[in-house]
Amino acid sequence: MKNFLTKIYILAFMALVTYFGVIIWNLTFAHVIHEYHERHAEKAEYSEEDIAQQKKDKQSFEQVILESEKRVKSYLGYRVLEQQYIEGHFHHIGFDVGPDKYSYCSSCHGDMPHDNVTKDMRAFLNMHAFLIGCQTCHSRPDGEMATGVYQWYDRETGEIVESPVNDATPGTYKSKIIPFVLENDSLVRIDSKERNEFVAQYRLNEKDLSEGQRSRAKKLIHSVVAKKPVICEECHTKENPLLPLENLGYSKRRVDSITSTEVVGMIKNYTKFYMPQMLHPGVADDAVQQHQQVTPVVPVAPEAAGEAEE
Amino acid sequence: MLLNLIKRPHWSFGALVIALCLLPGWGLAADMGNCLLCHKYPGLSRIDNDGKMKLMFVNEEIFNKSVHSKVKCEGCHTDITKIPHEPAKPVDCLTVCHIIEPTSEQKFSHKSVKKFIDEAVHSKIDGEGKPKKFNEDMPNCKDCHDNPLFRPLAFVKKVRPGVAEDAMGRCRVCHEKEDFIFRFYNHITTRLHKSRSPLNIAEACGKCHDDKEMVKRHGLTIMAGSSYADTFHGKAANLLSETIPDCLDCHVVKGKSVHQMYGNDDPRSSTHPENRGAICNSVDCHPKASVKFANYQVHPVYDREKSPVVYWFTTFFYVLTGGTLLPLMIILFLDLLRRLFPNATFKRRK
Repeated sequence: MKNFLTKIYILAFMALVTYFGVIIWNLTFAHVIHEYHERHAEKAEYSEEDIAQQKKDKQSFEQVILESEKRVKSYLGYRVLEQQYIEGHFHHIGFDVGPDKYSYCSSCHGDMPHDNVTKDMRAFLNMHAFLIGCQTCHSRPDGEMATGVYQWYDRETGEIVESPVNDATPGTYKSKIIPFVLENDSLVRIDSKERNEFVAQYRLNEKDLSEGQRSRAKKLIHSVVAKKPVICEECHTKENPLLPLENLGYSKRRVDSITSTEVVGMIKNYTKFYMPQMLHPGVADDAVQQHQQVTPVVPVAPEAAGEAEE
Repeated sequence: MLLNLIKRPHWSFGALVIALCLLPGWGLAADMGNCLLCHKYPGLSRIDNDGKMKLMFVNEEIFNKSVHSKVKCEGCHTDITKIPHEPAKPVDCLTVCHIIEPTSEQKFSHKSVKKFIDEAVHSKIDGEGKPKKFNEDMPNCKDCHDNPLFRPLAFVKKVRPGVAEDAMGRCRVCHEKEDFIFRFYNHITTRLHKSRSPLNIAEACGKCHDDKEMVKRHGLTIMAGSSYADTFHGKAANLLSETIPDCLDCHVVKGKSVHQMYGNDDPRSSTHPENRGAICNSVDCHPKASVKFANYQVHPVYDREKSPVVYWFTTFFYVLTGGTLLPLMIILFLDLLRRLFPNATFKRRK
């Protein structure tokens, strides 16, 4: 036993010596060699074509996706503000929400999945996707399955958690809302463990599946997706909103805000909504109303949109 | 919009304003258009057709501590006149905003910056007004500036903005509006030291000046950001020193705008060989420094052609260090190998 431990000790020490050797090499002779190669590299004049080629070369996954996730720190003296760097973004972000690591929808569609809807709507829908689980809008449990029960789940672990709404800045929660359904007389969340595992298995074996198997798997995964998703007015209404906002931890003030005339009016008068009327005192109501044509826009789920086109 | 209010006062609106003023923090907000109704949500984002992420979120708490906190959203985003709106056009920083500049009593604008920039080294046009080669590399406003945040002197307390209650108390003797006192205090104290930490300045410049391809395209000889980081100044900046000179301290003539930065061969430049002496021997840095001192190689690079003295000196130490430690590591490794296999040999046993 003592002999064995000695051997392990020697092996560990050898690994350490090798590690130090590599560090010393990189700090000394590697610089000399690098400088030699740099000096002898071909010195070329850059043309417009070269620039275009260089930009094209930068389209690799590593450069476009991995390197784009840079972080920056602003040293304010009394505080270090660390945030994601978004090229051309002027305003400070100030915190991280982080990706939804639990949702099986996000694992394929990403955290900003809405881009098949009108230009003006995608940001709004993505904003909701940060705090509302996909199935909340894109599935409509009916009949016996419908329960009207919704709860918050942790974006990181997927566990059901207490409402994060109290005292938090709107939309900055680390949780999302998910509906519960009745299955075999028991209340279960719609994104059950079984469904998550099914999707995980599909993603793992996707390359080896036949065309038919792939299509079947996709069909089953999207079986909970409703043809017509929940639309804005179903929640942003004072009368029997789809989401039980108070049960989800929203204070009376927040519920009033979500179902306020400003929000509801904005949705109803979508295409022609001017600044809130309180900022135009003296302007005749008729004049404003004439500009506010009612053209509600109904967002359509990607799958449903595809079927409609077919 | 505001003019309408002034011309046609409405008693109910007046009451509403009074009520809103009583709410804490309202006085700081520039959100008259209620833009934060949507833009307070961090998820307000989309992926553009060219794959770039667009984030439309505005962090109100941080925005209210920025130098633009008094500017209304529509002051910069002038194309937005209704809600919801079309995708906003890029902001023109030279636009005339609604702030009144107190000394001239004119509406405020950054227009004077363009005049400086057009003559400076970072201009997109040359002296004859023609576009420079690779002018798309030249920085736009947002390449160097994000929304500047107040950096009040932090020596009072390191855990919050350096707001000296005593000083604020003196302000309150004559001034009544808390909003004015807070803003004026921050406006002044932020400008009593660097607008950004030397490390942040070096990082901002390094975005272009450490881009290897860009440096080559423009015929520059050094990677300015990384070579600064190798110097004593750069190392102190990396440790967040606020008193160490950053890029702007040397490359901008004292008392001039940072936008008036010229090439080394321009006689107006602080780094022109004839002007360099004045950089180091300023009263704040090395008052007795000679011109020769100021002409030392500020941006040392390990390159035999560009900096032969630095190259040979550094190479000597590389060889000395590597030549000593690497054989030591090899001997240690071989010794351990022998201990691991005490009886191993290349010779055939008899």
